[in-house]
Amino acid sequence: MIAQNLLNGLMSGWIYILVALGLTLVLSIVGIVQLAHGEIYMIGAYIVYYFCVSAGLNFFPSLLISILCVGLLGVVIERFFLRPFRDDVEGAIITTIALILILQTAMVAIAGESYKDIPSPIQGVLTVLGARLSWERLLTILVSIALVSLLLIFINKTKIGQAMVAVSEDREAAALQGINVNRVSSVAMFLGCALAAAAGGLTGAIFDVTPFIGGFALMKGIEVIILGGLGSISGAIIGGLILGLVDGLVTPLLSVQMAGIISLVVIILILLFRPQGLLGHE
Amino acid sequence: MNKRKLIKPLSYSVLIVALLLVPLLITQPYVLHILIMMAVNIGLASSLRFIATSGQFSLGHAGMVSIGAYTSALLVMKLGLSFWLAFPLSGLTAMCIAFLVGYPFVRLKGIYFTMVTLFFTEVIKLTAEQWRSLTGGVAGIIAIPRPNAIIIPGLLNANFASKADFYYLALMMVVFTLLILYAIESSRIGMTFLSIQQSEPLAESVGVNSSGFRVLAFSIGCFFAGLDGAFYCHYLSAIAPASFGFLLSINVFIYTVVGGMRRFSGPIMGAIILTLIPELARGVKEYEPFVFAGILLLVIFFLRGGVVSLPEKLSKIIKRRVAYA
Repeated sequence: MIAQNLLNGLMSGWIYILVALGLTLVLSIVGIVQLAHGEIYMIGAYIVYYFCVSAGLNFFPSLLISILCVGLLGVVIERFFLRPFRDDVEGAIITTIALILILQTAMVAIAGESYKDIPSPIQGVLTVLGARLSWERLLTILVSIALVSLLLIFINKTKIGQAMVAVSEDREAAALQGINVNRVSSVAMFLGCALAAAAGGLTGAIFDVTPFIGGFALMKGIEVIILGGLGSISGAIIGGLILGLVDGLVTPLLSVQMAGIISLVVIILILLFRPQGLLGHE
Repeated sequence: MNKRKLIKPLSYSVLIVALLLVPLLITQPYVLHILIMMAVNIGLASSLRFIATSGQFSLGHAGMVSIGAYTSALLVMKLGLSFWLAFPLSGLTAMCIAFLVGYPFVRLKGIYFTMVTLFFTEVIKLTAEQWRSLTGGVAGIIAIPRPNAIIIPGLLNANFASKADFYYLALMMVVFTLLILYAIESSRIGMTFLSIQQSEPLAESVGVNSSGFRVLAFSIGCFFAGLDGAFYCHYLSAIAPASFGFLLSINVFIYTVVGGMRRFSGPIMGAIILTLIPELARGVKEYEPFVFAGILLLVIFFLRGGVVSLPEKLSKIIKRRVAYA
């Protein structure tokens, strides 16, 4: 029982990490808290659903298509809606709220409000020492870890990845070194939205998909990056695992609400004593 | 000069008299309902802007409305208090809670403050869902009684069976809210808020206790959010945690920005326009969020000062035209 709860917690944790890494990439490079990030996640889930069910494709090709499509959507959004509001908190909040309304309403118009279910890519359970762990959830964790590793390799080993680090540290200094800040912003938004789409597709295979699942994902993503520290990748990973485990272990013992209250109170307390988050810096 | 001084109070009195006459001329409950919701939204948006005058954006308003609504409903239903006592008490409860959480919250600046107030809203919502014995859980509280009747023989007979009585109560509430907020804003305290908004370090360097004043702005703003919540629950006679989520905070924020943050009249105009638009767009109900989003984008791309800055902007354009001609 404990092992299953632990697995559920880890799975939620890795999904939160994917969402949070996207948010934190966009925040540190484009300079905007992308409030429509949850809607990007939701659209990612729907694209996987349509390719799986309507086009009859396998889960993984559908996930890949979804990641690419949503990434490109992100680039378009960044160019026309986010770029004019760099470093303008009020303007950015307003445009991203407008995006939430537009994307959500569009999805309701296209797909309706009914629950959709993405067929599971893998069935069965793995029995380890008497604990029954579902392959579906193990797979979600493995795919998430693989995606995060790819992101880390991209950031640390490629030229454009290093340019992203430079821009996140000081945009003007980076521009003076000849880095094309606009292009780096597009890449960051592409990656951020791709991660959100992956998270949406993977969750959609386990839970139901509706046009309104974005709010929860956004909330968790924000909680994770605040807990871990804005702009910190390792902070987001630790924060995501903590929140995921709290959700996985507290929910069966008490209730979903108690899990939410406990994690939010912990975050508020941490913020009060360490305003920059666990691993953030001023 | 004297004449000009008279015009302002005179026009406001005419406006108040006109608003008092409305229920005599319009009897459709539907129209009165929209006017009542408008008053509630004006109160919420104006108090949110009031908090923002000290340089902090709060998304905690929905939580405060929720606290006010539950306090009033529970005081009346469980303790049998009169509405007229529970109403101010619920505002005070919201204010006390805002004061208690405000002290630690204001240590955070900018986006961190906004996020922690958002978490506050979420914690209040989850608590209301969890504490079933007190708040009725997810289902909420139903059959909340109407305000106690006020009967002065021959003069006044308000039993709150009709929308008109609620209209008068809402009108009184919003006028009270605006008068108090305006008085504080134009006082020395209001100036201090403004100085903190413009530069907190500079304000501190001349001896302003900036965190104290930020807590003050936050608590006063939340007092009115609590009042609105109490009114709202007795008006609709049912509440549920789901009505006081993230979305309500966001909506109030939208009213304020569309109207214009910089002027006192901004949130009033914003609340009026954005309460009316969904009603006018009822034919395309499911696309209503598109209309909202379109207005937001128009304002943010072309009219940063909000709707109230429109006359100023137009006159500038006209003047430029005249100058060229």
